[in-house]
Amino acid sequence: MPYLARRLLHGIALLLGVTFVSFLLMVYFGPDKTYDLVGKNPTPQQIGEVRHELGYDRPFLQRYGDYLRQLLTLDLGLSDSSGEPVSAMLERSVPVSLALVLPGFVLGNLLGLAFAMLAAWYRGSWLDKLITSASVVGMSISFLIIIIALQVLLCTPYGLNLFPVRGWKVEGLASYLYYVTVPTLALVLVTLGYNTRYYRAIVTTEAERDHVRTLRAFGASPVEIMFRHVLKNSLIPILTRVMFSVPLVFVSGSLLLESYFGIPGIGQVTFNAITSDDQPVLKAVVGLTGVLFALALSVNDLLYTKVDPRLTER
Amino acid sequence: MTGTAWQRLRDNGPGIAGLCIVLVFALVAVCAWSGLLGQGWAQVTGGRWESAGPDHWFGTNLLGQDILARTLQGAANAIETGLIVTVFSIFLGAALGALSGWSGRGWPDELVLWIAGVLDSIPFYLFAAAVAYALQGHEWSMHVAMIVTFWTTTARIVRGEVMRIKSREFVEAARAMGLNGFTIVLRHVLPNTLHILVVQATITFVAAIKTEVILSFLGLGVKDGVSWGLMLAESSQEVLAGHFGNFLAASISLFLLLMGFNLLADALQDALDTGKVIR
Amino acid sequence: MLKKLQGAALLALLMLGGCGQSPDPGGKVPVKIYRHALDGAPASLDPAQAASIYANFIVVNLYDTLYRYKYLARPYRLQPNLAAAMPQISDDGLTVTIRLKKGVHFVDDPAFARGKGREVTAGDFVYSIERQFDPRTRAQGAWLWQHRIVGLDEWKTRGSHYDEEVPGLRALDEHTVQIRLTRPFPQLAHTLAQGFSALVPREAVEKYGLQLASHPVGSGPFKLLQRDGSRAVLVRNPDYRKEPFDLATEGYDPATQGHLGLEALQGRFPPFVDRLEIEFITEDAARWNSFAAGELHFIKVPVSQFDNVLSQRNPLKLSAQYEGLYHFAASEEAGLIYTNFNMADKRIGYSSDPVRNRRNHALRCAMVKAFDWRRRNEIFFYDIGRVFPGIIPPAVPEYDPAEDRGYTRRDLARARALLRDNHWTADNLPTLDYGFPNSVTERQIFEQFRNFMSQIGYPPEKIRPMIFATYGDYQRAYSQGKVTLINSSWTMDYPDAENIMQLYYGPNAAPGSNSASYDNPEYNRLFERAASMSESPERTRIYRRMNRLLMHDCATISGISRTLLFLWDKHVIMKPDRSFLGGYFLRFVDIDDSAEDEP
Repeated sequence: MPYLARRLLHGIALLLGVTFVSFLLMVYFGPDKTYDLVGKNPTPQQIGEVRHELGYDRPFLQRYGDYLRQLLTLDLGLSDSSGEPVSAMLERSVPVSLALVLPGFVLGNLLGLAFAMLAAWYRGSWLDKLITSASVVGMSISFLIIIIALQVLLCTPYGLNLFPVRGWKVEGLASYLYYVTVPTLALVLVTLGYNTRYYRAIVTTEAERDHVRTLRAFGASPVEIMFRHVLKNSLIPILTRVMFSVPLVFVSGSLLLESYFGIPGIGQVTFNAITSDDQPVLKAVVGLTGVLFALALSVNDLLYTKVDPRLTER
Repeated sequence: MTGTAWQRLRDNGPGIAGLCIVLVFALVAVCAWSGLLGQGWAQVTGGRWESAGPDHWFGTNLLGQDILARTLQGAANAIETGLIVTVFSIFLGAALGALSGWSGRGWPDELVLWIAGVLDSIPFYLFAAAVAYALQGHEWSMHVAMIVTFWTTTARIVRGEVMRIKSREFVEAARAMGLNGFTIVLRHVLPNTLHILVVQATITFVAAIKTEVILSFLGLGVKDGVSWGLMLAESSQEVLAGHFGNFLAASISLFLLLMGFNLLADALQDALDTGKVIR
Repeated sequence: MLKKLQGAALLALLMLGGCGQSPDPGGKVPVKIYRHALDGAPASLDPAQAASIYANFIVVNLYDTLYRYKYLARPYRLQPNLAAAMPQISDDGLTVTIRLKKGVHFVDDPAFARGKGREVTAGDFVYSIERQFDPRTRAQGAWLWQHRIVGLDEWKTRGSHYDEEVPGLRALDEHTVQIRLTRPFPQLAHTLAQGFSALVPREAVEKYGLQLASHPVGSGPFKLLQRDGSRAVLVRNPDYRKEPFDLATEGYDPATQGHLGLEALQGRFPPFVDRLEIEFITEDAARWNSFAAGELHFIKVPVSQFDNVLSQRNPLKLSAQYEGLYHFAASEEAGLIYTNFNMADKRIGYSSDPVRNRRNHALRCAMVKAFDWRRRNEIFFYDIGRVFPGIIPPAVPEYDPAEDRGYTRRDLARARALLRDNHWTADNLPTLDYGFPNSVTERQIFEQFRNFMSQIGYPPEKIRPMIFATYGDYQRAYSQGKVTLINSSWTMDYPDAENIMQLYYGPNAAPGSNSASYDNPEYNRLFERAASMSESPERTRIYRRMNRLLMHDCATISGISRTLLFLWDKHVIMKPDRSFLGGYFLRFVDIDDSAEDEP
């Protein structure tokens, strides 16, 4: 199918673009670990040696070529900071981030959708207004404020002191819940407002359609209307949003949570790599996110065409 | 906007409240820019962590700087950041989105989508750090980083709209009449996206302010000056020592401004939502 | 990809199956766990790269160095660690012979034959020092022995081949090391107490290469069980050499240390705890929260909590609410915090034009006079830091309590007069770049500095902030001379004032540790003269004279030594330390209440 071939080509072009731009950024404008690694009284010669060891003095295209090869073979090298193999670092930190962010992500979206449907069904009523105002309030509070406030309220003797301030010593379901609750709460609180509002807009548009109003006038049950008609037609934008937010939530979103709560996931690894000028790790993370996003985009496009064939015509 | 849209907006209580809040903050910003308010934000005028009193209405911070002055200056910074980022990214996004949508699967479309995809795939904070370094820590590095990444959302939306409108009858008619693509887009298609752009502008404004807060917290945002993000960063350490001045001042102001914008955005969305195509 | 799926699946199983991991599998004896918090994380655990306090802290407990410092003696005194005795130095001071203890083994590791750790030999010491001079190691400690050991620098130039012998660094036999120096080096034994000098087995380096940084193979009292960005877990090394703890040898002083319960340790064999959990918590708030919630046994109290924790400042006393719960110690940090002028920048430093040179000198002195040390101490050090004139801090014997304090006494009138008399006005004052790595405190320090200067008429817009994302970036910038005002802190690597005087020695100019690029021929001459002297009245006189030269030139705004506050759980028996010199204390930590449970 030529269409799939074109989509594949797009994906590859995207990946090449992402890797090139981010590599460019890192090499010319980004982490330079040299001065971190020279000792206390470095001579210019020693500085040169360290740069050579780090591979900073090789030609750009050669380094870019190496980078592509590394990504393809998943031979990601060693961290410049800790010497640990980057793939090992990813292996131990990605599952942690998934475990950290998944509950909040899923809950945030499900709850948002649920509230949105309620609001859309009872549009104009006090419930709608309540949900709308609550979501506006939610959208107006910065993630930072939520994290600081929650930590004080739930994890310290100044508040309820029910949960740990930081850490991730997960050995079973109980300890998992113990450590994941506050971050999940933070994530849900910060995304709920946006999710509800966004989903409400979509669902409302669908719910206002003539055929839906007709069905409603004829007394069909809300559940049937909502799920069989409204939701099905809103599926694309909903899925679009979910797909787009996946890489964002998992890398950028987890960054703050993990550094604040001391959770050793991919966000913390990225943050540490940024603050310690660790090129190999950053290259790997950027490559990963690029792949994720390219996948998300491609899948999204495919979905569009499946559900709405009109868009494939020229 | 048509008369009915105005009417709907005026009837929307929360929307009007939001508008008022935004106007108040805008006024504060103008006063700060013209030197009437919040000028002493950098000066040490008091003792350490003084509580609210006649000299310092919001108290002082660790250094003895007046928190009220810093809050007002922070408001000016927030508005300024929001304006610059919003204007440029909406403009850029609309232009590229229209180009992309009009050419519909042609090479400009592919190119714009590709660039947008690449930019969206790079972790934002890494990008902001790189831009800050590339621009030698210039004041505008934060704005540039945001503009370069925010335009993509607008572009995608505009692109979708343009593609939809493209197939409508009046466009066919215009084409039949011999008008070239550029004129059609500019005079007939884009005006129909205005309602989306207005709403998107308010959303972008909010995003810009929120992003600035986190960037400043991470040290990638405001360099020389004061912003709510910097105040929050200060407060994250002070809060547990029982000093809430910075935290409350920054978070309440931030909350109010964002709330105002969000209410306004919602009201605009509702007012313009059912607007039909304008000829 | 498959491995990642496996990892995720495993995690899911753990979550659902609830199969917990007991830290003491199968044992009924309660495990003694000590929970420590560091205010930063180590990057690499390879001794050759142990440049930060955090890395050094952990490295000295995983590996053996020849020497260490006595646990309890203050001022710090050297104690043989892996060495059998203090070094034997020849009469001319150039030949040093050190004998190693026998029967010490590395931990078991696949790098060794049959996986069993072999005995540590003198050859390991030679190898470990040579590594520092091999570019492939990415070592950071070479500066300690640069140009000091006969033949070592040439060995590096010839290509760092380990099979080539270095004439000045030889293993006379399995347990004897002989070092030949190019000139007398009184601080040699101190350098052999640094994490940099820890003994590393060649097999491990050859097997793991750069990954040694996360896979330590040492002979120290602990082994590494697990480590990531937030914490490290160390467990007792069962094969660690058995040396009974002796209070007298360690410098015990019942008068000041009697309340710590250390007598209970007498005669027992360290390490006393089974497991160390070291959390890396940079954010003050999170660290304090964690400690207050009982998740940690120890904390270096963040400055923002001093108000809460102390009931009075002079003398220091703990608040009533904490009195019964914790032990408390105030430790004066062996180091200093200062702000250097970039003397290589002709806007403010040395100029070829004698008139400008003189005017710059006056400007610098005016800025020194305008600096408000009292306010700086009050706001950022809670008023318990020790301000002193120049660069010789109270922690070293060369400190002169009688030295004129004028250098750190604020004098606005004099500062303004200096500016006026040298034709400095708001219009022609140079624009200065004040650099700092990004953090809330650094930014506040900068704003305070700017405020100080504005009070003598220095326009705030002429003191520009130069913000760097990482400390490494900041270091690069000032090593390249791009920063005019360099705010720095220096923690002493060893308890000898030479470590501080070298900070202004001309040849050490940027990119070396002399970030001010100060170059005073007389200072340099005096430094070289004192280089081969150990601590003595004559050397003290020389160092004090150098200090006065520096102050006369107004090359730096200096200095203050921090007073650190430590709190620790009453059940923990220890005298904690946070310095390059004190990291060894972990092996002597004991927990009194052995009914210590997992939370």
